[in-house]
Amino acid sequence: MSHSAIVIIGGGPAGMSAAVAAATQGLSCTIIDEGFALGGQIYRKPTNPERAPAPHPRGEQLRAEVAKLAQQIQVRNGDNVWGIFDELRVAVTSPDQHTELLQPQAVILAPGAHELVPPFPGWTLPGVMTPGAAQTLIKTMGVAPGKRVLLAGTGPFLLAVACQLVDTGVHVVAVLEASSRPAWLSLPLHGFRTPKILAEGLAYLNKLDRAHVPVRYGRIVVAAQGETELNAVEHAPVDAEWFPDNNRIETEQVDTLLVGYGFVPRVQLAQMAGCNLELRPDVGGWIPVRDRNLATSVAGIFAAGDGAGVAGSLVAALEGQLAGMAAARFLGAIDEATFTAARDPIEQELVRLKPLRRALDKISALQPGLMSLVRDDTIVCRCEEVTWREARAAVDAGSTTYRSLKMTSRAGMGACQGRFCWPFLSRLVAAEAKCSLADIGPPSARPPLGPITLGALAPQAQDK
Amino acid sequence: MPMTSTADVVVIGGGVIGASVAFALARRGASVTLLDASTPGRATSASAGGLWSLGESLGLGCGVILHTAQQGAGDGPAPLPRTFMDFLWTSNLRFPSLAAELRTLCGIDIEAESATGLLYLVYDEEQERHASRIVEWAGSDHGSVEKWTPQHIRDRDPLITHDLRSAIHFPGDNQVNPMLLTEALKRGACAKGARFIAEARVRALRCSNGRVVAVESDKGTIACGAVVNAAGAWGAQIARLASIEIPIHPVRGQIICTEALQPGTLRSNLSTRDCYILQKAHGEVIIGSTTEYCDFNTGVRYEDMCSLAAGAIRAVPALRNVTLKRAWAGLRPGTPDELPILGPAAELENFFHATGGFRTGIVAAPLTGEVVAASVLGQTPEFPIEPFLAHRFQFLTA
Ligand SMILES: Cc1cc2nc3c(=O)[nH]c(=O)nc-3n(C[C@H](O)[C@H](O)[C@H](O)COP(=O)(O)OP(=O)(O)OC[C@H]3O[C@@H](n4cnc5c(N)ncnc54)[C@H](O)[C@@H]3O)c2cc1C
Ligand SMILES: Cc1cc2nc3c(=O)[nH]c(=O)nc-3n(C[C@H](O)[C@H](O)[C@H](O)COP(=O)(O)OP(=O)(O)OC[C@H]3O[C@@H](n4cnc5c(N)ncnc54)[C@H](O)[C@@H]3O)c2cc1C
Repeated sequence: MSHSAIVIIGGGPAGMSAAVAAATQGLSCTIIDEGFALGGQIYRKPTNPERAPAPHPRGEQLRAEVAKLAQQIQVRNGDNVWGIFDELRVAVTSPDQHTELLQPQAVILAPGAHELVPPFPGWTLPGVMTPGAAQTLIKTMGVAPGKRVLLAGTGPFLLAVACQLVDTGVHVVAVLEASSRPAWLSLPLHGFRTPKILAEGLAYLNKLDRAHVPVRYGRIVVAAQGETELNAVEHAPVDAEWFPDNNRIETEQVDTLLVGYGFVPRVQLAQMAGCNLELRPDVGGWIPVRDRNLATSVAGIFAAGDGAGVAGSLVAALEGQLAGMAAARFLGAIDEATFTAARDPIEQELVRLKPLRRALDKISALQPGLMSLVRDDTIVCRCEEVTWREARAAVDAGSTTYRSLKMTSRAGMGACQGRFCWPFLSRLVAAEAKCSLADIGPPSARPPLGPITLGALAPQAQDK
Repeated sequence: MPMTSTADVVVIGGGVIGASVAFALARRGASVTLLDASTPGRATSASAGGLWSLGESLGLGCGVILHTAQQGAGDGPAPLPRTFMDFLWTSNLRFPSLAAELRTLCGIDIEAESATGLLYLVYDEEQERHASRIVEWAGSDHGSVEKWTPQHIRDRDPLITHDLRSAIHFPGDNQVNPMLLTEALKRGACAKGARFIAEARVRALRCSNGRVVAVESDKGTIACGAVVNAAGAWGAQIARLASIEIPIHPVRGQIICTEALQPGTLRSNLSTRDCYILQKAHGEVIIGSTTEYCDFNTGVRYEDMCSLAAGAIRAVPALRNVTLKRAWAGLRPGTPDELPILGPAAELENFFHATGGFRTGIVAAPLTGEVVAASVLGQTPEFPIEPFLAHRFQFLTA
């Protein structure tokens, strides 16, 4: 049983850095991560080290720092946090359904983000997946997702995954970047203070060039074709608002399509804990409101990393450090002077990273044309297989909030609680009902966040 | 704010009660505007959708759960007054024809089931005595309440625990999908000429010479001939806008729901002293629910999720390995005597209540719509509403 002072949810760069910072101040921490090892999305550890590429050195370093503080840091891998209840009580269930309620004095939320995929005709066909899912296959097991792969979406993450595919020997047909080439060419203007990151991006482009993988700017996928599985993809050039020119559609024969339009912060635990949210489409949508020290509106709960606004692994690690120190101050382990002395350099570093991040957010900001791909029979909620025709009928009859739309069309009623469909469905609803995303609101979050059985809640229940 | 529109009647609150009143009014030819604001905790979206006219009025469902929690099993909860049982019974009988009418009118299937029945599981001797009194009390005037043997239960619903003494079966107590019912009533009302305005939170009532003359909402001000307060647990707040006090209190109900199982896995709706259990048309099993006074808090408590799960596993052991999908809570509009508040307010000539549905608002909705609509339009309600007038609480609110 754990009686740590701090429970940290998420073992990515944010969670690991938070644990190291707080443990260094003498506090006991428990990191809980549903993955089989620490690392999070970017520093995921291979399960099959012979075949998978070598793990990222920064990830190895963080894992080593955590390991060095094993006296203070308890790591719970494979466990799922599915709810936060009153008085900072954190519900955790392990794969064998053993369930515990932890009651720390502070909680650091570092759950990261998930990928954003817009609905378009054919998007639910087997063979269509996210770049992150493909990357996980490669990183953990060294397995290629397909033979002929097309990547589409926006942002540098596409390039990173394309390079990993090339390294694994996959034939990458092309990378389609929705934003225009001139927009991307302006990036160095904003990144002069972060030359290493720019260089990383350029290295991706060089590698793809050498592998003869075309990066085509200003194009989006408009439909995926196939009977039982994907066999072709239609894509078209777009205008500045990403509306496709349907007279210039090209068709590509591929067995795998990876679509990713950025990331959405995982805010459900913050919501359950009662933290106030604000709408910030530039960093992925709804995020917890935080003060300068990353404290949320609920005393004792801090939020760091992509789960509090998508900003990448470097920002996540810095925020983790800051949240760890802020939690230490909250618990009285360090005084104000020590805290500010630690905060200043972190803040300076965050400021240095900001211009590039802002520019990236702007270039990759979702444009309305992306919402024009949905047709009447396109599925807009995968869990319940609700089509846009059904959802729109409910919207037209007045169901313009998550709650009312769910009740009348079943969209968002499934196990994912709207986490995956609502980022786009809410935009479709806003366009249809002519209201703002803020009016429509985030999907409500209710326990349990992950799958648990009734038996996990009632191990003693009598059943003779 | 400028007057943006007019209506004979403005109905405030788009839960099942407001929708039913609007439908009944529109059907009688009145011009109706239905205003709703989506508020966390609205009872209709949280509801289990049991149509348990006999079971609930005899204190089963939530009644027995609360009773057990408060004082152990003992005598079991006392039944509600007979007039109310008759009211619910009459309302419940409307469902088959209402379902057909709504299907024709707006194409929505409200998933009203006709043959599941409610089964009250009797685990021990004390409960056995309670059960005998229930059968006696229900008498023969309402269908055929029967006592079932363990063998009979097993033959019909083999997943129910074998570790019980008997059960009481209420053949007429079935279920419906509360949200589809509400949506269908709303669209039905619109098909008959009513207007529905979503996200129209009511902020003020303009009164003059003992009448409400206009309703001010986030979506504009509506001049009106009469107002119906169907704001559920928020009914006291709406009444207060007209300087009227009514004793409506939010009563939280927490409820949990499993992933979809093969429809028909559970044939009966179950009521036990720990929880009630019903399988919905899409296959999910709903397990409810607590009955608590905690103001407008719509959170879910870990301990209550656990006790609902334990109660469900006790009744249906196979549920142990079923995945939980969601837990939530809703706010029932409660009154001190557990009876609804319906009909004209004494203080204002054209202000009517339709709230206090408490734990039976869904089954009561069809008849509630009819009697309130009749009373608004100056007609004689088909069921006497005197026992439900707000007036009865004068001594409380004076
Ligand atoms: C699929 C994916 C792939 C990515 N790949 C790259 C890449 O190759 N290069 C790059 O620069 N950036 C990549 N990113 C972005 C980068 O990972 C993030 O910017 C960075 O990892 C953020 O760090 P973090 O600590 O905030 O969150 P993460 O690294 O995402 O870590 C959060 C961890 O919390 C766990 N978690 C969340 N909720 C719970 C819960 N309820 N219970 C238990 N555990 C939980 C998650 O499983 C995860 O391990 C990727 C992002 C995603 C979503
Ligand atoms: C967990 C649970 C299980 C239940 N199970 C059953 C059951 O099995 N069978 C049964 O018969 N009953 C059941 N009930 C009871 C039943 O759900 C309620 O009695 C019924 O839904 C009440 O309906 P209503 O329309 O009065 O209230 P609500 O559904 O709460 O509707 C009131 C509406 O008014 C709106 N409103 C509030 N303030 C304003 C304002 N200022 N302006 C505009 N709109 C406003 C609210 O947002 C809401 O939409 C259950 C209740 C709960 C909580």
